[in-house]
Amino acid sequence: MKSQQALNILLGIYIFIFFAYLFGPLVIMSITAFNSAEFPSVTPWECFSLRWFNEGKIAYDGQHLAGLATDWRLHEGLITSLQIGLGVVLLSVPIGLSAALVLTQVHSRFRTAFYSISIMPVLFPGVIIGISTVVLWDRIATMGGGGFATELGRNGIFLTILAQTCFISTYCFLIFVARLQRFDQTQEEAALDLGASQTQVFFKILIPYLMPAIASSCVIAFLASFENYNTTVFSILSDQTLTTVIASKVRLGISPAISALALVIILITLAVTITYEILRRREDKKKKKLAAEALFAQTQDSRLLRNGKSTSTIPKSIFVIIFIIIICIFGFNKLVEKGLYGSVCIATKEQEKQSNFAEQLKLLQNNAEVAGQTSSENGEADEKKEYDDIFGDPNLFKNFGGFDAKEEEEQGTSD
Amino acid sequence: MNYFFNKNGPLISTYLLISIGFWIVFLIVIPQLYMLDLSFRPNIPPLLRGGPDDVYTLVHYKHFLFGSETSGESYNYVDIGVFLDTILTAILITLINLCFCYPIAFYIAKVASPNTARLLIVSLIIPFWINELLRSFALRILFAGEGFINNVLIKLGVIDTGINFIAMDVALYTGLNYAYILLMIFPLYNAIETLDKNQLEAAEDLGSSMIRTHFRIVIPHAKAGIASGCTMVFMLTAGALATPVVLSSPNTFWFTQLIYQWFNMNDNWPRGAAYSIVLLSVSVVFVLLMMRIFKVKIGEIVR
Amino acid sequence: MSADVELQNVSVSFGNFYAAKNVSVKIEKGEFFSFLGPSGCGKTTLLRAISGFSDPSDGNILIGGQNMAGIGPNKRPTSLIFQNLALFPLMSVADNIAFSLEVRGSGKAERRKRADELLELVALSGQGDKKVHELSGGQRQRVAIARALAIEPEVLLLDEPLSALDLKLRQKMRTELREIQKRVGITFIYITHDQGEALTMSDRIAVMNQGELEQIGSCNSVYEAPNTPFVATFVGENNAFYGTISAVDGDMVNVSAIGNNFLAKAGDLGEGKKHTFKKNDEVIMFVRPESIFLKDQNNQADNIFTAAVKTVEFEGNLKNIYLNINEKQDVRCSVSNAVDTADLSNSKNVELKFSSRDAIVLPVGPLAVD
Repeated sequence: MKSQQALNILLGIYIFIFFAYLFGPLVIMSITAFNSAEFPSVTPWECFSLRWFNEGKIAYDGQHLAGLATDWRLHEGLITSLQIGLGVVLLSVPIGLSAALVLTQVHSRFRTAFYSISIMPVLFPGVIIGISTVVLWDRIATMGGGGFATELGRNGIFLTILAQTCFISTYCFLIFVARLQRFDQTQEEAALDLGASQTQVFFKILIPYLMPAIASSCVIAFLASFENYNTTVFSILSDQTLTTVIASKVRLGISPAISALALVIILITLAVTITYEILRRREDKKKKKLAAEALFAQTQDSRLLRNGKSTSTIPKSIFVIIFIIIICIFGFNKLVEKGLYGSVCIATKEQEKQSNFAEQLKLLQNNAEVAGQTSSENGEADEKKEYDDIFGDPNLFKNFGGFDAKEEEEQGTSD
Repeated sequence: MNYFFNKNGPLISTYLLISIGFWIVFLIVIPQLYMLDLSFRPNIPPLLRGGPDDVYTLVHYKHFLFGSETSGESYNYVDIGVFLDTILTAILITLINLCFCYPIAFYIAKVASPNTARLLIVSLIIPFWINELLRSFALRILFAGEGFINNVLIKLGVIDTGINFIAMDVALYTGLNYAYILLMIFPLYNAIETLDKNQLEAAEDLGSSMIRTHFRIVIPHAKAGIASGCTMVFMLTAGALATPVVLSSPNTFWFTQLIYQWFNMNDNWPRGAAYSIVLLSVSVVFVLLMMRIFKVKIGEIVR
Repeated sequence: MSADVELQNVSVSFGNFYAAKNVSVKIEKGEFFSFLGPSGCGKTTLLRAISGFSDPSDGNILIGGQNMAGIGPNKRPTSLIFQNLALFPLMSVADNIAFSLEVRGSGKAERRKRADELLELVALSGQGDKKVHELSGGQRQRVAIARALAIEPEVLLLDEPLSALDLKLRQKMRTELREIQKRVGITFIYITHDQGEALTMSDRIAVMNQGELEQIGSCNSVYEAPNTPFVATFVGENNAFYGTISAVDGDMVNVSAIGNNFLAKAGDLGEGKKHTFKKNDEVIMFVRPESIFLKDQNNQADNIFTAAVKTVEFEGNLKNIYLNINEKQDVRCSVSNAVDTADLSNSKNVELKFSSRDAIVLPVGPLAVD
């Protein structure tokens, strides 16, 4: 059918565009991580360099843009994020588990109501949860009158853990509910019948069964906590997490260090996904082998044995990886050839820009002298205009991102 | 209650009750109630709280609607404007998202072979492992004045100077659309997947056109998925903060940014609370509306 | 050590629905006792009540003379083998078996020793380290039994344990179960809907229908002297002839049915008594298929009637002859395969005979539905 074919082709194109839309920005961003230019870009391509992963740039214009390895704010934020993630996992996994258990035991009349309440946190906008937590604990803190409660109530890490636990428990809850649905109740009864106490049943029968769910809950809870912004930005008060640091970069200045960070995260994600997939395939193979053995034990049919020829297959993906490596090496050589790589290139470009800048600075000073003689009302606007011309998009300095907004302004760029 | 303790044993029962109690009462109910309460209180310094000035008042809500007493206007056009802008944009983006994702979901659910489907699903998930902020940054890099798109367009000679996508809100819309695609695709996919392919073939056999098949068969079946996807996307978009922070222009303000301002820059927590309640109410109303229109239960909406 | 189990007027209800109504039975120490009945007759309910998983809404359950009210399943001297076996999939066979010792705090060596003992008892020596899913159905059965016997309960309860097995395995397991019970000597309470199972294994059977006890007795008495039409038709196959009493003579009665007059026995009422009838009472006369003979078979019989052959069904060791009288009454006659039935063609009228000692008359009542 022609129309069917045409439709399929159209659909195919649509999907291609869709995935280009999905992956495009990320791919481009990854590429910009290697461009030594200050604003993340693919064209113009200055030099291929790894500076944004390392030391960043010490500016000729007084503006220091840190690279990944040297950005102390990023490091602090990372550590805080890890701490919060740990706290959230420790709280929300047990809570999610108990909510799922209670759901199975609650009278059917109350089941919908209980389920709805457990789902609610996910339906609240994240900012609301963050705000309400801060607001409540601020009150508790004032009532505490200087004691431990006050300390706690104003501690950003504590508050963020609480706020995130509120809705992350729901994620864990859903995971446990799904796993519990397929639980064979008679196992609990059998254990009881054999003399186990309820506590023993819980730890010896239920928990082992739930292990996969516990594992995935921990992972999901940690990841959800790690990447959360909406709630965290309100509850974190004077601290910073990785996400709030990233957001504050909107104001401090977008540099390819962000692209570098994104690329690192992408690579980690890919590595984890691929490892997981490989492990899973291995598990599947093992299970198939066991099932075949069991079948063999029952039917004693020797024809089944023939299947077990050793499969030391080299996965096809190896070839793809080798291909990529070859391209990289080739490209690298080309780059070195054209002198686009390395500190030599950077040094040259810097010199260029520096001389440009010096010229412009002179120009500015001249204009300022001239402008200083005109009315003071206009003066400010003019200066600002020229300031803009040199430093680009004024929106870079918009005041969002974290509580340290005012502090940062004062600290300026002197790190 | 006795039955409960008997069934679980004393140790486990205590654990269950404490964790649930802590969660529901302390983390869910009380903070919201307190915030509600706070929204009705005047903005007074901590020392004066609990004193004679601390009475219930509607001043913050009034401010939202009518503006401050010193302004000359009859209504708070700015704040209401932001609010309506946010809500309407969220609805618009939800619809765009729905139209955008429906073909993909349908393709993966019904047309693609199982292997392709799995591959597609995995590749859908990967971008979303990246933080929403970083993804927005990627878009910012694309759309910025000296960003990728402008550079390409200039190189190609299509335009002379960079288009300010950010000021035009194009960047913001794209960003918001981008952010929540996953949450629209998966409910749709799950819902469409349960449709028996034979029904589609039967319809085709009986002479139905593509459009009619979709409208009369697929969409009613996927109703729950559509409701779920739309609800989640709307709520996340209306309550979004990360993407507007990165991608909005000085002209556009997202309602959540307004709330943020009240809290952090103007230090008026009760007012921030009041505005939060407004946002919360809208979310709740929307969910209830979706549940009513599509006749789905709350359990079906959440993943 | 085994104990007796006594149910005194036990009723178990869920809301308005009575799963078991007023059941009283005394099961002797060391007895193999079966509850037999169709699905929904309440036998599983009773088993769970005895185990302690549900409380009777009325009546008492005593084990070894002690009232079990308020005592949880983990404290009763009973072990239950579930219909789906409920083996622990994440544990090895040996760990499954030794579980009851593990929860009582026994040491590893002791548990291993006991597990090995039991594996030998159920003929699974050496399989201790395997995982449950690696075993066949019959092997899992035996693991379940071994596990239940580990702490030497006083009563073993079995919930239709053989229903998931195929025929040959089932037959083999029946014998094995009986042997294990004799060897171990504890009370077995067995529930099933398969009367063949119940008859081959049990010392006594209790037939249940819709929550009520219809009859308790030895296998013989339940089969040969049913008290109600339900028992008569549920246990084994039976022909039911509806008729009226034409004459009564002590324990024997004359029944007018299918156009003939037959001499038959009055059925048992239980507790040594017999049903009493008067002339013109509506009754059902039951004659087992194996008690109906073809005219030229060499058996004594004082009742004769004619019927038209419908089909002859070959079942291996038996042949079932299906006949019909006047399109109204179906009759089934079973003969050994050795009997020659070559000349029994369709619609042929044959003479059949049966002895009055094999015909039992009971008052009209509901039959067991197929």
